[in-house]
Amino acid sequence: MSADAFPRLGSCLRETVSRRDFLHRAGGGFLGVALGALWAEAGEIPNAVLGPHFRPRAKSVIYLFMCGGVSHIDTFDPKDNKWAGTLMDAVGFGDNQAEMKRPVIPCRRTFTRYGESGTPVSDWFPHVGGVVDDIAVIRSMWCHESNHFPAVIETCTGHQGRQFDHPALGSWVSYALGTSNRNLPAFVNLGRPSSPVQLTGGYLGASVSATPFQLGDTPIPNLHPPKGTLAADRDRQLQILQRLNEDFRSRYQMNTDIAARTKAYELAAGLQLEAPHLIDFSNEPRHILDLYGIGTRETDDFGRQLLLARRLAEQGTRFIQVCHAGGGNGGWDAHGNIESHAPLCRATDKPIAGLIRDLKQRGMLEETLVVWTSEFGRTPWSQNTTGRDHNPRGYTSWMAGGGIQGGIVHGATDDVGYKAVENPHYYSDLHATILHQLGLDHRRMEITSAGRPMRLVEEGFGPIQAILA
Amino acid sequence: MNPKLLIDPALLIRAFLPIHLSGWGALVRCRFVLRLVACVGLFVLGFSASAAVHRSTNQLWSLKLVVQPVVPTGWTGSTNPIDAFVAAAWKAKGLQPAAKADRLTILRRVTLDLTGLPPTVEEQTAFLQDHRPDAYERVVDRLLAGEQHAVCQARHWLDVLRYADEDEHLDASRGLHHWRDWVIRALHDDVPYDQFVRAQLTGYRSTTRTEMVATGQRHRIEPRPDDLFALGFLARGAVPGDGPESQNLAISAVETVSTAFMGMTVGCAKCHDHMYDPISKRDFYAMKALFDPLVPRRVVLATADQWIARGQAEEIAARGRRRYETEIEELVGPTRRRLYDERVAMLPAEIQIVIRKPERLRTVEEQKIADGYYPILRIDSDKVMDALPEDQRDAYRQLQRKRDEENGKRGPSLPTFWTVERDRARELEKSYILTSGEPDRPEKNHEVGPGWPFAPTTPDFRDGRLEAFSDWLTSPDNPLFARVAVNRLWQWHFGVGLQKTPSDFGELGGIPTHPELLDWLASEFVHSGFSLRAMHRQIVLSETYQLASEMDADGERRNQVVDSDDSFLWRFRLRRLDAEALWDSIHQAAGLLNLAVGGPSFSPGENKPVRRGAYIVRGYSASRDVLPAFLQSFDVDDGRTPCPLRTQTVTAPQALFLMNSPEIQRAADALAARLQPEVPDHAGSAVDLAFQTVIGRLPTDPERNLAMQWIQSDPARLPGFAWMLFNLDEFLYVR
Repeated sequence: MSADAFPRLGSCLRETVSRRDFLHRAGGGFLGVALGALWAEAGEIPNAVLGPHFRPRAKSVIYLFMCGGVSHIDTFDPKDNKWAGTLMDAVGFGDNQAEMKRPVIPCRRTFTRYGESGTPVSDWFPHVGGVVDDIAVIRSMWCHESNHFPAVIETCTGHQGRQFDHPALGSWVSYALGTSNRNLPAFVNLGRPSSPVQLTGGYLGASVSATPFQLGDTPIPNLHPPKGTLAADRDRQLQILQRLNEDFRSRYQMNTDIAARTKAYELAAGLQLEAPHLIDFSNEPRHILDLYGIGTRETDDFGRQLLLARRLAEQGTRFIQVCHAGGGNGGWDAHGNIESHAPLCRATDKPIAGLIRDLKQRGMLEETLVVWTSEFGRTPWSQNTTGRDHNPRGYTSWMAGGGIQGGIVHGATDDVGYKAVENPHYYSDLHATILHQLGLDHRRMEITSAGRPMRLVEEGFGPIQAILA
Repeated sequence: MNPKLLIDPALLIRAFLPIHLSGWGALVRCRFVLRLVACVGLFVLGFSASAAVHRSTNQLWSLKLVVQPVVPTGWTGSTNPIDAFVAAAWKAKGLQPAAKADRLTILRRVTLDLTGLPPTVEEQTAFLQDHRPDAYERVVDRLLAGEQHAVCQARHWLDVLRYADEDEHLDASRGLHHWRDWVIRALHDDVPYDQFVRAQLTGYRSTTRTEMVATGQRHRIEPRPDDLFALGFLARGAVPGDGPESQNLAISAVETVSTAFMGMTVGCAKCHDHMYDPISKRDFYAMKALFDPLVPRRVVLATADQWIARGQAEEIAARGRRRYETEIEELVGPTRRRLYDERVAMLPAEIQIVIRKPERLRTVEEQKIADGYYPILRIDSDKVMDALPEDQRDAYRQLQRKRDEENGKRGPSLPTFWTVERDRARELEKSYILTSGEPDRPEKNHEVGPGWPFAPTTPDFRDGRLEAFSDWLTSPDNPLFARVAVNRLWQWHFGVGLQKTPSDFGELGGIPTHPELLDWLASEFVHSGFSLRAMHRQIVLSETYQLASEMDADGERRNQVVDSDDSFLWRFRLRRLDAEALWDSIHQAAGLLNLAVGGPSFSPGENKPVRRGAYIVRGYSASRDVLPAFLQSFDVDDGRTPCPLRTQTVTAPQALFLMNSPEIQRAADALAARLQPEVPDHAGSAVDLAFQTVIGRLPTDPERNLAMQWIQSDPARLPGFAWMLFNLDEFLYVR
């Protein structure tokens, strides 16, 4: 490649062409009258949905989704081992989920009470233990579905099944709040999800679906011009393209699609400028990289994703979903041996704690809501293995920052750790809480089409008031 | 918290919001056509209460008999009745129509519309030089006669009939492309629409399915052999087997047939407050009972020699496998048995007794228990591996690998197609209303017989349930059948139907903009013997279809006041190319498009032959992406639900595709190579050729100059020029 040919247009353009010019050219400088029509078109969103509905506590959400189902019993919901070895089944709990008796297996973890709050955390999450005073642990989550894909769909859309093409939580947020940074999408996904449904804009449209960012040089498909493209050439091409488009655009200036296309090119250009900068960690000092565990084999990948998440939040991305160990049933699906959690905990513990510390020292934690969750938890009993089965009846999620009260534990499962019995929260309550912190009223997250109201939240009690600061 | 860091409403820029084709877009987004599987309470919206109410009063417009209306006179010089109805509406609303579009604009429009491909340079030249009065008519007839027209229209129909190569409930997917090919052939042969529908419901085109023979016995006539493939339509929703999922076929069929052919949108009462237009659940399940006797059946499309060769290959593979299995058993048998015994020992004593009993001594009940424990007691190979001594693991691994390699000797599997057939036993079973729509929760006290909304009181089921239904459905007297069909064709040509909700002709769907025109088209359709080709021809030959998509600003503003979204067709609606037409246009301009008709779907990728976009793989899986990113970003549905009208978004990923994708780069290089012989001596003619090839017209002088400035007589700069053309708004839009 010659010296003036470069793989990344964006970073080079910074030097050769002014940013304003580039955006202007990419969009075709069509920001006049027609945009009025575009905004009018945007008004198609029902006013009730348009947020914020009240003063938001959080600007961004970093939603950490552990694919496959984390065992709450071995992480944030300690139980004594008095039932270990007993044959049990779900029927005894008034639940016919499992029809045969299985042996409760002992928890091999030791729990330590951390911080001023003394919230117990297992030895699989020592670093998270170190920031537990910022965390509200909810030990009483539940959902309906007991298999991975159905549960993933339920927990990301708030609905069982796919008959209605419900959008993911992040898409609703994107729809209601829009983006606060013209160069970035409002909803970004990092990491491999369990299901494409976690990215879907569903009936809200492709334009609010998640934009997946990957680690590496090309975070977004087609982000960079093909190798060998010269920045000066591309800039000149955009200039000529703009002039070639002029006649057409003036003839169709009343057409909202054409105005939208201008916007789309501007955003595409914005992404080209912004995304390479976002993934370039060279200006992050060593101690920050260390905080996330970047450079250590086990934590490097997830650490990089979380650092990127912070950088996206800094740039105003509303909803950053980070999927860990996705693909197939998900890496956390520990049927055979619960010890398979150990490496996954090691890979995520330090980065998660690092993220919270980093946000805090930057003063960002107050306005950034960090959520840690899974599609379900795991049963106290095994399937005659040393692992645990799926358990949607009671499990743990936690939240930190963004106006959430730190250092508290809310709700409880029963003695064995099977069913949420104290302050049980259907998964939608978590959605409602996230919306609430963003200044959105879940009851207003409803759009009507052909006479049918479509909502994100159908069940549950609404925001979990007890954990709000 | 620092208030400055809070969300500033002024920054709420909705760069990512969907921009619809027009204001009512949100109402008709295809994805809103809802699926009903597993809902609490099933309602057919639109007809239902309306049915109850209107059966007596006959108010709902779509249920009234189609009576050919009188064509208005005096408003237009056109002899095409379409123009007369449209012009009468202009007059009534005080609208001024746009002028006629120029010839090349019309040529590009009609060619993309009828075939999904751009007009070639030769076609453009020929049309400009043809001064005969019927030059345009000749073009239309040429396009309608070509097989690419059928490929393009099949794509529209298959959206409505929910074609997918893969789906979570699509076990019977192998060979489904034979159904797509059947649709393409049927449209190419202009099979009358009633026959087109009957064949897909019954395998028979005709309503005559039996005949008397000399001995006085009635025989079933053999259906046309290739109409077997039409039944892929029903097999598409089928899950083979006896489980509750086997009811998927019938449920999918009701959902698709009711929306596609009857214009009834099926919804779910659980999910909305407005309980209007309820049809009784009974009506829905009566319709389901029509399909209940059907089961999927696998048809092997192989010659006798292929069967024999496969049989021999399987035998060889099995023999090879057995050898290694014996060795594996010797190596790990004891370990496996030990693990098994350990697991059994953990079970309750009474269960252990059952498990240890030889299978033939178990009672039926005991066998059920044993089967239930099978997944727990199964010892998978990874468990065996963990339990093996370290020094034996390699040997085990190798033996497993060798055994699996033997499978390769079976050779390719035999080509397969799934059809449906009537199952005698199922036909004798009763059908029930399902609690919450769940197949395994029939309401045994709510039995339903086969039927459908608006059915005659005593349908004639002697030929079969579906035969009775399809005869009723496709009857020339059925007001819905023809209206729904012609409205779809209209929508495919104008972007919006006369009835704006193409699959909802019920109370909620509203009323058509031009009720009389719709009825005139419907009656014309019936009189022409349900010829789809004649209907396409009628529509695209109208002057309305040939109007310009732009007009003077003052006129436009005046019209906008009365009719802001052009419902009354005072100009042609600017339309973004569909994903497939965009794909085809890019690769056709580059000279890379393979126009072969038929065959399996393909996934786009480098170094692969480029087939038409209609053949790009589509479908849905909960666990991975099936629909290629290109189709996703350009609004192609995944085929889970009938899609009568695609969303049309304008997004940044679309722009990135056009700016930076390998497909665009490859096409730009290929187009540049086509132009290269003209440069450096005739750069001007290279520019002309490129404009004609990509956007179907010659450049204006300023455009030519801009292009020449860029090219500078340097062939190496041609790909950059081609890139500009693919990024032109005018390329992506049909004027």
